[in-house]
Amino acid sequence: MAGFDTIATPVGLLIGIICGFVPLGIGIYYRHLRPGIMGFFACTVSGFACGFFGGIPMILLSTSVVVSYVYVNRQDPFTSRKSIEEVDFAETNAEFVLRQTAAFGRTLRAMSYGILRNKGGFIGFVGILFFLVLTTFGPLFIEYEGQPRMDRRLPGAMTLFQMPSSEHILGLDFQGRDVLSHIVYGGQTLIITAIETGLMATAIAVVFGSLAALLGGIVDQLLSALSNFILTIPQFPLLLVLASILDFDSHFMLAVLLAALSWPALMRAVRAQVLSLKARDYVEAAITLDLGMSHIILREVFPNMVSYIAINFIFAIRGAMYALVGLVILGMVPLREPDWGIMIWNARSRGAFYNPDAVMMALAPIMAIALFQLSLILFTRSLEEIFNPRLRSGL
Amino acid sequence: MSAASVPGRENSASGTFSKRLKNLTSSYMFRVIIQGLITIWAVTTFTFVLVRLLPGNPVDIRIDQLQNQGYTYEEAVRQAAGLYSFDPDEPIFSQYLRYISNLARGDLGVSITSAGTPVAAQIMRFLPWTLISVGSALVISFSLGILIGVMMAYWRGGVLDNVVTALASILSGIPDYVIAIVIILVGGVQLKLFNVGEMRGGVDPGIQGFTLEYVASVIKHAILPVTTYVLATVGTWILSMKSSTISTLGEDYIHVAKARGLPERRILIAYVGRNAMLPLVTRLAISIGFVLGGSVIVETFFEYPGLGLQLSRAVASRDYTTMQGIFLVISIAVIASNILSDLLIGWLDPRVSLEDK
Repeated sequence: MAGFDTIATPVGLLIGIICGFVPLGIGIYYRHLRPGIMGFFACTVSGFACGFFGGIPMILLSTSVVVSYVYVNRQDPFTSRKSIEEVDFAETNAEFVLRQTAAFGRTLRAMSYGILRNKGGFIGFVGILFFLVLTTFGPLFIEYEGQPRMDRRLPGAMTLFQMPSSEHILGLDFQGRDVLSHIVYGGQTLIITAIETGLMATAIAVVFGSLAALLGGIVDQLLSALSNFILTIPQFPLLLVLASILDFDSHFMLAVLLAALSWPALMRAVRAQVLSLKARDYVEAAITLDLGMSHIILREVFPNMVSYIAINFIFAIRGAMYALVGLVILGMVPLREPDWGIMIWNARSRGAFYNPDAVMMALAPIMAIALFQLSLILFTRSLEEIFNPRLRSGL
Repeated sequence: MSAASVPGRENSASGTFSKRLKNLTSSYMFRVIIQGLITIWAVTTFTFVLVRLLPGNPVDIRIDQLQNQGYTYEEAVRQAAGLYSFDPDEPIFSQYLRYISNLARGDLGVSITSAGTPVAAQIMRFLPWTLISVGSALVISFSLGILIGVMMAYWRGGVLDNVVTALASILSGIPDYVIAIVIILVGGVQLKLFNVGEMRGGVDPGIQGFTLEYVASVIKHAILPVTTYVLATVGTWILSMKSSTISTLGEDYIHVAKARGLPERRILIAYVGRNAMLPLVTRLAISIGFVLGGSVIVETFFEYPGLGLQLSRAVASRDYTTMQGIFLVISIAVIASNILSDLLIGWLDPRVSLEDK
């Protein structure tokens, strides 16, 4: 599948353009050209960046934005904007999907306005975007240096370390390689693994959490006991042991492991959320009407939790990245270069910490990790404010 | 009053006893403690199996080392077998039974790689350092967070508030090991504020007895890890205290207190601060449990002799019994602190009833 291996290749660009025709087509058909064209560009860029993994999610996002502009309620076309939120029990599944897509698109639009107006959120968003662009499109402009470059030793210098110069903006590492090239290439595996972990952990948490809350009884008790158990064991020490048991050829296994350990907190929150949603009138009405479990989960409970889940998804990404880099720094996971964590590990084991000339080799990956984590937390915090207006006055 | 001396009372005494037993089994404490014990057993069993799944047992690792030192295989096997009181060929189930029955008697076993040292003694040697460093960091960062959080909430909107809130956001977003490395790089190497090499370990070597000099040395060595932990956690405390205070400020009793003309200071301390602290106190109780887990990475970077460093060494040398012992201690701490936080919130805030849960 043309996934992450098509990063910034012509194939990816092609995928992106093809994906872009979906929102563009819808936009042209319904005569909302501007959102259509914007969707086309968004799809092209993200498809160019990540192939299908970037293109298909972007189709969903941009199409729902376009749909939110064009949404028309057949029964009552004049109040259609308002009717996005109105529940109509007679509507068909297709109409429901359309309405939910419109609602989702509207949430996205509100979110982007909110982010633009919120200082911290905007900085966080720009930061995340910066690192995504750096790791996906950076390789187009900067060549990776994997081999030692002995020829770069300065006359009279003891080591190959170098401070930043106009030629090498971030200096040279212990083998005389360009630090900037390692920063550009070293984020990919880390970010992809963290996103995979976040996706898996969120999926497990949402499924288990809603099952526990809706089914109750023995299922609830078992799942709650399991989550309590995992929460009780100290996470990082356990990871330390597990990481040396399993042989990690692929970062995917590592993501599975991290996800298996990081779902319980979110699962508890989802369970509590579903329990409180379950007690609300409209869900009780749906239960009384005997509308079926899938209807209740997908139509009544899930749409009310999307923002909450999105925030926790980013939290899971953050946690995964923290643990991942931590394991690599301790030398417990044999990941391959280039990788930010391995840069730090190398810097530590090659004495770059204590060599004033080598400061860039250690500082550059640290700054990259810190800034990425910081952007994520600023972004999530402002998302929380946008979704939860009660916080807005405070922070 | 003895029930046996009065024959007629015997019945009623046994009646109150069974009633008491029933009260006991249905009480919240009892359920919680039984649950805790079951979780501890589950964690123990889990780590027991897990640890034995690690590739390579301690004897094999030692044999490898000896062979690298030039011994033949047979010699290495004989030496390693004599060195460790551990038989890798013993069935895992009989190992488990022996371990559990020893554990029930309070015996954590003997460290495999440093033969002759009981695990309990090893834990007792490393535990104080983690308690000192992470514990004092927790206290400092909690108190700082509470103070700054209340002030920021009370005078919110000002320049100071914006600066401190932004700073707290930044601090809460940076991982602790990044802070540790930055402290070493910037403070130790670039600015030469301190000598990183001298700051290693828990105390300067060669200081005997519990003297003032000893205490000073302990503090000196704890400064770097404590600073790291405080910086890594204080931001979160500030932000949550601030938002908790803001929601408290909107409560009716604050308006009433202001209407009664109480002095500002008194409202801030007795009315706002105490109520806003409630949710944070339970979180403090929960984080006490994670104190023992320490921070493996930070302790490794500063070579601070705490449980985390000990654990990572035990993992590297496959010291089964030490790993199990450390996991057991940490899990007990986590469970105990969870129970503590439940009890604490019930005691501090009577609105939360434990029996409802």
